[in-house]
Amino acid sequence: MSNDIIDGILEAIRLLFTFDRELWGIIEVSFRVSLTSTFLAALVALPIGSFIGLREFRGKKTLSNLINTFMGFPPVVMGLIIYLLLSRSGPLGSLGLLYSTSAMIFAQFFLAVPIITGTAKAAIESVDPTLKETILSLGASERQLWWELIKDSKKSIIAGFLVAFGQAISEVGAVMIVGGNIRWETRTFTTSIVLNTRMGEFGMAIALGVLLISIAFIVNYGLTRLQARGG
Amino acid sequence: MSSRKPFKEVLREHKTAIILALIIIAGGSVGSYFVIDILRAQDPKRITLATTTSTYDSGLLDYLLPKFTEQTGIKIRVLSVGTGQAIAYGQRGDADVILVHSRSREDAFVNDSGGQIPYGIHRACVMYNDFLIVGHSSNPANLQLGDNITTVMTKLKLGMTEGHNTTFYSRGDNSGTHSKELSLWSLIAWDPTTAGTDYYKDVGAGMGDTLLITYNDANNRGYTLVDRGTWLTFNDTYTILNILAKSVKGEDILLNPYGVIPVNPVLHPHIKFVSACRFVGFITSPYGQALIDAYRKNNAVLFHACFGTCNETHDCSTTDDEIVIWRPYHSEFAGLSI
Repeated sequence: MSNDIIDGILEAIRLLFTFDRELWGIIEVSFRVSLTSTFLAALVALPIGSFIGLREFRGKKTLSNLINTFMGFPPVVMGLIIYLLLSRSGPLGSLGLLYSTSAMIFAQFFLAVPIITGTAKAAIESVDPTLKETILSLGASERQLWWELIKDSKKSIIAGFLVAFGQAISEVGAVMIVGGNIRWETRTFTTSIVLNTRMGEFGMAIALGVLLISIAFIVNYGLTRLQARGG
Repeated sequence: MSSRKPFKEVLREHKTAIILALIIIAGGSVGSYFVIDILRAQDPKRITLATTTSTYDSGLLDYLLPKFTEQTGIKIRVLSVGTGQAIAYGQRGDADVILVHSRSREDAFVNDSGGQIPYGIHRACVMYNDFLIVGHSSNPANLQLGDNITTVMTKLKLGMTEGHNTTFYSRGDNSGTHSKELSLWSLIAWDPTTAGTDYYKDVGAGMGDTLLITYNDANNRGYTLVDRGTWLTFNDTYTILNILAKSVKGEDILLNPYGVIPVNPVLHPHIKFVSACRFVGFITSPYGQALIDAYRKNNAVLFHACFGTCNETHDCSTTDDEIVIWRPYHSEFAGLSI
């Protein structure tokens, strides 16, 4: 077994440097889908999350519980829901978007929104209340207060984004159902690992796993550097 | 850092405009993905085939399909899933054509009795291979290769219920192989799922995983039913498993026929029926059939082509009417040699 793992690592290095066309296609699809869905989710979730964190209103507790629950939404169930929506027999079937990267982006978008909303809300809430009072006492408008609080909790917000991205790139259940793991089109790292395992190509599966983790490390490292510089 | 300050000021002055521009660029590029994907879905020369893991994971389709695309320009997107799922995709119109192995469910798929609109039309039998019963080489149930199938199933049953030295691992996932396994138990009028034995394990997994579980049986007494294609993929890895029962002469029950069925365009008007039919034409043509026979994995034959000759080999009947329907589609591939 340990031989398989070592062979897998060697195979990973070989594949990467021989510029295997299929492998680079898989890398491209994985990152395009995960990054796009996470960015889109951030555009929606940041304003909502910070709004909830900033304001007090009736039903806030229930809403917070709901968001926390949805942060752990089972991806395969999300995949099934998006599948049923985009299926030719479903309400959005006529678009023909099933088994495309767009469908995968939809599924991962809905998985990422609660994660980024929840972390943004928690980040804003954890800002020292005296800071809030100080800003308000200086005569800031609510919009300015909001902006200042977001800037202050930037690190936690970026961390939330990274968690959402990490979940998206390593997720397999939803992209398998709505993407279909179609060669040259919707095959990602994770679906390819499942396929190779099923085919008995354990070395190749480990190789892809090693690459996925390495590349995810580089992306995380880059974003963390950005976070440190910004702070 | 003298150049830094003016840039920051520029940013600050035009903050709203810059944010708007970024949102428009982001929205535009994402929107164009969706538009491109929607447009590509309309392409009549791009069809979706839902098939079972045994045809795709064995490498057969990656070998066959480029030759079809080369000849016709039609691209095939393969969904490699269980037979149950592939049939559901066909019923819902999410695939243009299906290639599966579960005769009873294929018959239900094309059933037009009582005026109902069938999900698919003109089923053709393409090829077959066989199912095997594999187990640990210690073979506690004492199966013999010459045993007929009822003897084999009876020995397994006794090993589970009386000898307590046999564990049978069932796919339990509604796949073609799972249906076949249940039909084998029904031959001896015994239903292991309701028999209350602890020696019958429903693992709810794919074929590769089920073999792995059988291989890892703690007491070296695991047995399972496997299609030959998957077996040939794994037999080098799981060396302590051996073929302990297989089809004997004159017995068809362990044969594993694959049928291809285009989805009915009457039910789903968006189906790319013409391209789907050209694919069926390809895979049933003398050229496609020769390619199937020539395919090897680890130097072993995986599938035997049988369009039009199924009736003689075993009960896989492509009806004469359907043979007549598919013949004209063969002309496009006439004269090609492998």
